[in-house]
Amino acid sequence: METNLVIEGFKFLILGMGTVLIFLVVLILLMNLQRKIIERFFPEPQGISEAPGATPGTQAKDTKKIVAAISAAIMHHNKA
Amino acid sequence: MKIFLLSIVSVLMLMTSAYAEGHGAADPLTTHQEEDYVSKGMGEMIGNFLASTGIVALVSPDENELSAHGEPMSDFHKGLGRVIMILITFLLFWLAIKKGFEPLLLLPIGFGGLLANIPIAGISGPDGFLGVLYEAGLANQLFPILIFMGVGAMTDFGPLLANPKTALLGGAAQFGIFGTLVGAVALSEYTTLFDFTLKQASAISIIGGADGPTSIFIASALAPELLGAIAVASYSYMAMVPIIQPPIMKALTTDEERKIKMTTLRPVSRLEKLVFPIMVLTLAILVLPEATPLIGAFMFGNFLKVSGVVDRLSDTMENALINIITIFLGLAVGSKLSADQFLVADTLAILALGIIAFSAGTAAGVIMAKIMNKFPGTKINPLIGSAGVSAVPMAARVSNKVGMEYDRSNILLMHAMGPNVAGVIGSAVAAGVLLSIFN
Repeated sequence: METNLVIEGFKFLILGMGTVLIFLVVLILLMNLQRKIIERFFPEPQGISEAPGATPGTQAKDTKKIVAAISAAIMHHNKA
Repeated sequence: MKIFLLSIVSVLMLMTSAYAEGHGAADPLTTHQEEDYVSKGMGEMIGNFLASTGIVALVSPDENELSAHGEPMSDFHKGLGRVIMILITFLLFWLAIKKGFEPLLLLPIGFGGLLANIPIAGISGPDGFLGVLYEAGLANQLFPILIFMGVGAMTDFGPLLANPKTALLGGAAQFGIFGTLVGAVALSEYTTLFDFTLKQASAISIIGGADGPTSIFIASALAPELLGAIAVASYSYMAMVPIIQPPIMKALTTDEERKIKMTTLRPVSRLEKLVFPIMVLTLAILVLPEATPLIGAFMFGNFLKVSGVVDRLSDTMENALINIITIFLGLAVGSKLSADQFLVADTLAILALGIIAFSAGTAAGVIMAKIMNKFPGTKINPLIGSAGVSAVPMAARVSNKVGMEYDRSNILLMHAMGPNVAGVIGSAVAAGVLLSIFN
């Protein structure tokens, strides 16, 4: 029996795009839900930055330096 | 009567044992004789040696030589074809070294291709080291999955978590895969340009996902005979993202849209990042178990990274492990660049379909962003839509670069990383759908 490949292709298209988009839409809903739950029940303690592995003390110092360096770079960039 | 039967049996036994002994004794004798070195004249030795050189093998190929799959090859594929393939690998070297096109992969692939086209040595055959690598990690899809693990350990889902709706752009860009699939089967059905089966067309169109490991994963599952061309097309186009994408992005957007500024991303808590990989994997388990090898490995790598307690392991994954696997993967893909498999009309069709798939994905991402802007809510700069094709982080950099061409203070990089990593998830899901259809 001859199957029409093009019709098969369109079936793939609908099934594939449908699955991908539904998967991601559900994921978006879950991400929003997760954010609400986490912000409400498990808020981050203020003032602690989240990069794992670095000790908070040196991090704060470094952050200031980095911010200074970045702002200098932006200033320079916008002037150019 | 009894005695007679017994004597016959004993005679038979004697005969068989004698035969077995004689046979057993004869075996080492003959092999010994074969191993025995027979003295030859100097002239004959030189003649034999010359007959075994590469020059002779290329100019007048051995009629009985078989391809790596044990099939007969045409004289073209044994001689001139190999020379052409070796020149093509030189072109890959040039692209990688001089033009900086994905050198990490194109160099191992190119060199693998060079080795695979050596006559007589049979490096890509079942006993050659490229053939062994292929069997060890590509035929069973191990290497692409290990690569995914490393990519997971390198990925930061922060930008996506900060602006979840950009995930839709990563989904829309997968249209490149399925749109090209329809196009490929339509051309196979109604024209004589080429003749791909549904499996082959699916394996080719996955190039539109712009995700090397996923392409290799699907190609080795659905159409291993096209693996070499698909891998080369996939990685070459990923390298050419900065050339392919900008014209499409500019053609589909207005000047005003390109200057849209996006609000700064909110900070994402560590807990959110920690829950996210488990959440995606759970969703994949429930909806599409076929995609879980890829998504599972990806999320495993990411989970170890964000857990923050096993830096040793995540460091290994994103550095040592992925580097080692990249070498193996590149060489194993290169083994598929032998003349008899690459120098066929299908390769040109694959290269053409690949670039169409890539462009269609880019366009679909940009158009999706424009559609989303029709709805109320914060506006999205459509330039980040193109980053929905995976190609992390190259596609996001391209969005950023094009955005800065129109407004130097408009930094889109982090915004584009959202659709970019969503694109990786999207193409893994698309791959899972294709696998589930055929299984």
